[in-house]
Amino acid sequence: MDFNAIHQRLTEINAPGLLSADTPRAADPEDKEDKGRSGEAYILIDPSAAPEFLLAVRDDAELAFDILVDLTATDPDVEDESLWLNLHLLSLGHGHRLAVKAMVPKSDPVVPSMVEVHRAAHFHERECAEMFGITFDGNPDPRNMLLPDDWEGHPLRKDYEFPKEYHGISCE
Amino acid sequence: MTEINTPTEPPEAKTVEIPETARTLPSGEREFMLDVSTSDLEVNMGPQHPATHGVMRILIRTDGEVVTGGQVHLGYLHRCAEKIGENVEWLQYLPYTDRYDYLSAMNNNLGYSLAVEAVMGVEIPRRATILRTLCAELNRIGSHLIAFGTYGLDVGAFTPFFYCFREREWMMALFEKICGARLTYSYIRIGGVFNDAPVGWLKEVERFCDVFEEKWQEYYDLLVVNHIFVKRTADIGVIPAEMAVDYGLTGPMLRGSGIDFDLRRDVPYMAYDEISKAGVFDIPLGRGEKGTLGDCWDRVYVRVQEMMESIKIVRWCLGVIEDGPVIGDIPKVIKVPPGEAYVGIENPRGELGHYVVSDGGKVARRCRVRGPSYSNVAVLEELLPGTFLADSIAIIGSTDVVIGETDR
Repeated sequence: MDFNAIHQRLTEINAPGLLSADTPRAADPEDKEDKGRSGEAYILIDPSAAPEFLLAVRDDAELAFDILVDLTATDPDVEDESLWLNLHLLSLGHGHRLAVKAMVPKSDPVVPSMVEVHRAAHFHERECAEMFGITFDGNPDPRNMLLPDDWEGHPLRKDYEFPKEYHGISCE
Repeated sequence: MTEINTPTEPPEAKTVEIPETARTLPSGEREFMLDVSTSDLEVNMGPQHPATHGVMRILIRTDGEVVTGGQVHLGYLHRCAEKIGENVEWLQYLPYTDRYDYLSAMNNNLGYSLAVEAVMGVEIPRRATILRTLCAELNRIGSHLIAFGTYGLDVGAFTPFFYCFREREWMMALFEKICGARLTYSYIRIGGVFNDAPVGWLKEVERFCDVFEEKWQEYYDLLVVNHIFVKRTADIGVIPAEMAVDYGLTGPMLRGSGIDFDLRRDVPYMAYDEISKAGVFDIPLGRGEKGTLGDCWDRVYVRVQEMMESIKIVRWCLGVIEDGPVIGDIPKVIKVPPGEAYVGIENPRGELGHYVVSDGGKVARRCRVRGPSYSNVAVLEELLPGTFLADSIAIIGSTDVVIGETDR
């Protein structure tokens, strides 16, 4: 299925938390500021319904997104008020992909854990939590994955400040 | 003369006295302490351990010889690749891609280039596409040779390791001729490849294929169907198909469990659509031939068979390659239009995904790397409990983990 067919099917089954779709578009020739958007299309969902959304698209026979390939986040800008939660799904049977995005507010970055639906989410959630400071509510083992346990700050946030020293080792 | 075979009286059987030091537990139950007690013991395997293939630590809980729990600790080789990606220009990031899965640097270059090209929407010349395919497949052979050789080391077979390095040395010499580097190539660039193959290079690749096909049979007979090797790996570390899908395993780990899926055929990129439609290569699957479907032997079998499939693709490339430019019209300082794309390619270890977001500038806004080994090691926490300590080495080795990629 191509992206439009997938989006149509998502609307048909009334997938939980489905908000809208964003597709690439050409730049508006009238507007000098507008550069358009290139790349690939994605689906926008509500972050609080993420596990139910994943379950719905996994169990639907036509979509059958059975592998959660990637779970990550993006901090678009310092001034931006929300982080993006990015999910990338793959269907083994149909060979189609889906990019899913959810806006998580920086003021209260809490998302329900997706481990119950896909065990693959476990390690990715832990990495995402330490790098962006998103709390995955219900993750069975929410320790740091790549960073030391006593690391301060969330390195992939755009407002992250590099540490001056770490345990007596100067970083300057 | 005394009779030689006089049956002597058997020594009186001693009854070993078991000290029954009893104590009363808080619950009121009486517990008897025997002289042999096996209690849980936590052992750190790693961060420096030959069987973890790098600096990974696995905290193993054992009860005697039986593993009762395993916990994977990563991060010893974390080099902030994603953060660096947000701070350097698009092309400057390319050498960093070499360094996550350092055994298949060509494939990493390819994954990153395809992701950036997906946002840029540039046309790649035909000769560049074929050269890319050829190099990626040669690199797959080299990577599987290491996986296979070191796995032999893990389970106690030393010799195949040297044979594998002999062929890999030739492969690296080929890459040195085309791009000047032996391990970190940065050969596949955004827009094409860095330069054309030198004169006579394609002929040498053909000779490599001829020799490799012969040698491959040697490896197969020497290790894969070796009785001792089969005893060490069959029925060990069984991953059922549902577990493989649930944990998001990809590549040979997934195919070892019998799931017929390969990104090169099912979600084709570059020239793979054409190649798979022409029926050039098959996709080897685990069949549970020596034991249970999805055991360590099946995963090794899939990797070994894949080497021969890669040889077929290399030969196809040699047949269709034609003269022409090797890089598209790409400026020195690349500016990527605003947008985002996720591109996943079939690396030797599974799906390598790059998710890049551009705001229209010279530097990426986000450069996410999804390393296949990162998802693949997660399954260890489920596989290890209940196995013998000696088998845990065979199981860890069969995931073919590269720590540069899990930690990035």
